[in-house]
Amino acid sequence: MARLRQSLTLPNDINTIPQLSEFIEGICEELNLDMSTTMNLNLALEEAVVNVMEYAYPTDVQGDVTINAIANDTHLVFIIIDSGIPFDPTKKEEVDTTLSAEERPIGGLGIHLVRELMDSVDYEYRDCKNILTLSKNI
Amino acid sequence: MVIEIKERDGGMTAILNGRLDTPAAVKAQQEIGPLLENADKEIIFDCANLEYISSSGLRLFLTIRKEASVKGGKIIIENINDEIRKVFMMTGFFNLFEIRNA
Repeated sequence: MARLRQSLTLPNDINTIPQLSEFIEGICEELNLDMSTTMNLNLALEEAVVNVMEYAYPTDVQGDVTINAIANDTHLVFIIIDSGIPFDPTKKEEVDTTLSAEERPIGGLGIHLVRELMDSVDYEYRDCKNILTLSKNI
Repeated sequence: MVIEIKERDGGMTAILNGRLDTPAAVKAQQEIGPLLENADKEIIFDCANLEYISSSGLRLFLTIRKEASVKGGKIIIENINDEIRKVFMMTGFFNLFEIRNA
């Protein structure tokens, strides 16, 4: 049985990220999660949602991203949905965190952090939508 | 203001405040010119009041670090909190900077 069910829809504008952070913090408070878990979820969700805001829609095209949060006693699941270009972030190559500063590429850290911070990350493309499901054991 | 840049003897100090999330990092990106220009010197990032960082904030550090290795300068990161320290560990950034508690 669901202990919590909440939803937030944002436009593809990174300036709305503070609203996402408020949304996540509200959920974590309701579930009594500790500060460290709250920050980890905040970071994972910011990375996943910014990725959609920056890349799912062509420049100057307005689009939305919806974040559905569902929790039971053992799992907190976030489902991130957009109607942009099909893109599977789980297929993105893993970054090499052992490279020197000179060799390190400037990008690619976002999805790496999502993988590190969440317990599972799954992608599907259905009904012309990108659906990314992030799950955390709580 | 998330980043405050000051000149000091022998280099620059950048004080970071609050949340360095994506929108804050995009704004800060436009303010780091003086740090890039002085990347031949010692740049200290004072992070005692930095609460949160995302990958766009990490990219700022990496951009300045790369400039310093071209110009022969040094980057020191001071007083990061435990959560940010974990993010540095997860991304391998811990090995790219001199990190210390002042």
